[in-house]
Amino acid sequence: MRVTSSSTGTLALAGAWALLVVLTLGSLGVGRSLHASAWLTPIVAAIVWLKCTLIARYFIEANRAHPFIQWALRLFIVFVPIWLLLTAWLGERIAGWTTL
Amino acid sequence: MLPAILTPSSCLSLIAAAPAMPGALPPAGDAGRLPTAHDGPPRLDTPAASGRIPGNKGIWVGITCVFVEFAVLFSVYFVSRAHFPTDFEAGHARLSLVAGTTITLLLLTSSLLIALSVNAIRDGKRRQSIGWLIGGLVLALGYPVAKYLEFRWNLAHGIRGDSGIFFTVYYYLTLTHLVHGFWGILGMLWVLARNLVGAYSSAEYSGLEALASYWHVTDMIWLIIFSLCYVLV
Repeated sequence: MRVTSSSTGTLALAGAWALLVVLTLGSLGVGRSLHASAWLTPIVAAIVWLKCTLIARYFIEANRAHPFIQWALRLFIVFVPIWLLLTAWLGERIAGWTTL
Repeated sequence: MLPAILTPSSCLSLIAAAPAMPGALPPAGDAGRLPTAHDGPPRLDTPAASGRIPGNKGIWVGITCVFVEFAVLFSVYFVSRAHFPTDFEAGHARLSLVAGTTITLLLLTSSLLIALSVNAIRDGKRRQSIGWLIGGLVLALGYPVAKYLEFRWNLAHGIRGDSGIFFTVYYYLTLTHLVHGFWGILGMLWVLARNLVGAYSSAEYSGLEALASYWHVTDMIWLIIFSLCYVLV
């Protein structure tokens, strides 16, 4: 199996980069327009997950990587969105559980 | 054994561990060759059976350590946020959005150019690969410059490490990431030197790919920090 640029071609990389830029700029707009809204956190969590998945899929080529690498990436990428949702919905409980 | 925070020497030694390792790409001579009866049963550690390792095993041990390190740091962020939600909401709005966005665009574009450099070397276009690599390095060097200007702007606006819990967390997250950015830049200089002397080819480029993997992960972590510190207002 020889890996060539056709596996993740220049166009695919440029497309992923363009989407990442759009998501970055879009997230700024979302942050400002949904200020203090309950929807802000789930949307930001989804954007974080999507941006990291794009990096893993197109730049790191995780879809063809060893299963350990795939799982390490998946776990790390889902880690922050889960924390975001937990803090938004169970913030006071988490504060209670982590009070010394 | 790797330290939790990679040092320059450990990073460079990982990236320099270029010789083919189990799971790395086979030489180009095997390209597209179908297995025959003489090959015997497939080995479990072959790329076809278990997936390939981008770069080399060493860099992925290091990257896994970085994942654990930042998982701990992000956990501290969220526990602090759960305790002081109003401090975090007020803190976000005081940071320079221009600086955060500039750094994000620099790192994203640098990551793209490094990925294109890997693609070019795979196609045997070494000069093109060097060109993309230099482009990626120049943009990567913009990161510490932008961060320096941001910190100057912060201090001018009274934002210091002891200005509140949000800013304490913001400084340790961004400074830790900046340290990792420096390791990536040093790695880029190293692989650029190796590429210039012809150490990489379409058959052997694991060192360059290891650096690329590390840089993409550094980019990924910044995207998370950007959302946590600049977007969630």
